[in-house]
Amino acid sequence: MTDDTPGRWATASGIAGAVGSGRISATAVAEDCLARIAALNPEVNAFTAVTARRALAEALSVDAAIAGGRPPGPLAGVPFAVKNLFDVEGLATLAGSKINRDRPPARRDALLIRRLRAAGAVLVGTLGMGEYAYDFTGENAHDGACRNPHDLSRMTGGSSSGCGAATAAGLAPISLGSDTNGSLRVPASLCGVFSLKPTYGRLPRTGTFSFVDSLDHLGPFARSARDLALAHDAMQGPDDGDHACSRRPPDPVLSGLDSLPGDMTVGLPGGWFARNLGEAAQEAVEMVSEALTSLGVAQVPVDLDAAEAGRAAAYLVTNSESAAFHLDRLRARAAEFDPDTRDRFLAGALLPAAWVARAQRVRAWWLARALEVFAGVDALVVPATPVSAPLRGETRLALGGRVLPLRPNLGLLAQPFSCIGLPVVTVPVFLPGELPVGVQVVTPPWCEGRALAIARALERTGLARAHPPALPIPEAPLRRSATAL
Amino acid sequence: MDLARYMEAASELMDLPVAAEWRPGTLRFLGLAAEMADTLDRVPLDDAELVMAPVFSPEGGNDDG
Repeated sequence: MTDDTPGRWATASGIAGAVGSGRISATAVAEDCLARIAALNPEVNAFTAVTARRALAEALSVDAAIAGGRPPGPLAGVPFAVKNLFDVEGLATLAGSKINRDRPPARRDALLIRRLRAAGAVLVGTLGMGEYAYDFTGENAHDGACRNPHDLSRMTGGSSSGCGAATAAGLAPISLGSDTNGSLRVPASLCGVFSLKPTYGRLPRTGTFSFVDSLDHLGPFARSARDLALAHDAMQGPDDGDHACSRRPPDPVLSGLDSLPGDMTVGLPGGWFARNLGEAAQEAVEMVSEALTSLGVAQVPVDLDAAEAGRAAAYLVTNSESAAFHLDRLRARAAEFDPDTRDRFLAGALLPAAWVARAQRVRAWWLARALEVFAGVDALVVPATPVSAPLRGETRLALGGRVLPLRPNLGLLAQPFSCIGLPVVTVPVFLPGELPVGVQVVTPPWCEGRALAIARALERTGLARAHPPALPIPEAPLRRSATAL
Repeated sequence: MDLARYMEAASELMDLPVAAEWRPGTLRFLGLAAEMADTLDRVPLDDAELVMAPVFSPEGGNDDG
């Protein structure tokens, strides 16, 4: 099957092209997607709600637009799903928690859902996540663990666990997640898909449930760099509903996707990063380095050891700010928290203020150090996780001769970059016979287009590719559009 | 330092009880936070490095959510 053939492994651009040209109806695409979700979600446990009726109505409206000669949008008929911290009209915004089930249903969709809808995409449901996004594993005491489509006994990574699982399993060509310390990048890494964490402030968070306001980002998962660019372009633009959203006008990335700038130099951090790599992650970054060489991209070692302190700053800001946000819930309903997040939230509520104030200063110091490095390189290449997907239930992480607690450390290579708001595209690397490991392409602030162009170039070499999982995905033939249209 | 005594005092100050069965985990995470704070203490900050993010803006905005 090629990327342009609608089917279970179709890309968003393939679906949009087929729907827009009338080769297939949006309704047929939606019906097929909903059937796959019904068949496979019991295996991967990605969805917490399936919005079937709504999806079919939205698909019908796309078909009606085409029939009426109106442009259906660049994402015509593309099914998408969202982490359940996005408001969806008529559903309580769970944010992976039990407590939020008491919230009234949202009265309006989150802004990014509205923007994807305006581009012709079709919402098929909401996706599971770690409680209140404080998670790197994909486990959740209330909803059960999301399961990795490439090996159901293994973790998806979190906290956008349902996003990683759904997009990797062929249940949603595009999904929207959030990233505070690595939650768009850890699941992309462990599930073998692409993700884009844009610059902090690029995409408005209007209508989503916060984790750490000063660190929260939103962004897409997809199975190709082109699909990331399509989704990103459809979602850009300022909005007054998010105080941290930049006033910058949209900076479209799709048109430059296939144009890798010449004379490019990529930095490869050693030191602290190298000490925190498992074998598979090391191998993945070496393969990316070889691919970059084949593309004519120069590479130089860089000293980025300030990241260790940046990561510590991220940890303390996250711990303190999130606990303060949940303080009333911790006082009144601590027993209803997931045991895996509760103790960390409790500790965060008790931290000395001086630690957090220093963390904010070190955050700025780390940004200055990173920008100094970017004076000499166009991008950085760093594994997204130190290892491939651990077994579900695992609590320890062996790294560099030490045994660390897994839950706070699975994202340690991702944390430094969200702490200073840099854009990152995570690309999947499948080692022969192994589970995937993602590699981060990190660029200076507001340079999402450059990161995506590098990701696309790596994809063209054949190295950075999402692979179909071994799951027995039903391959029902799609009905043609004539009668539906 | 005795983190358990600190936890007791801070939880009382914050009016945030920590049930007996949650204390070992809470202590473990307090210890991890203390390690992170140690790492920050080793950063040679200049007195002029005072950027206190996040930066509050009084411009405001509408409630679109």
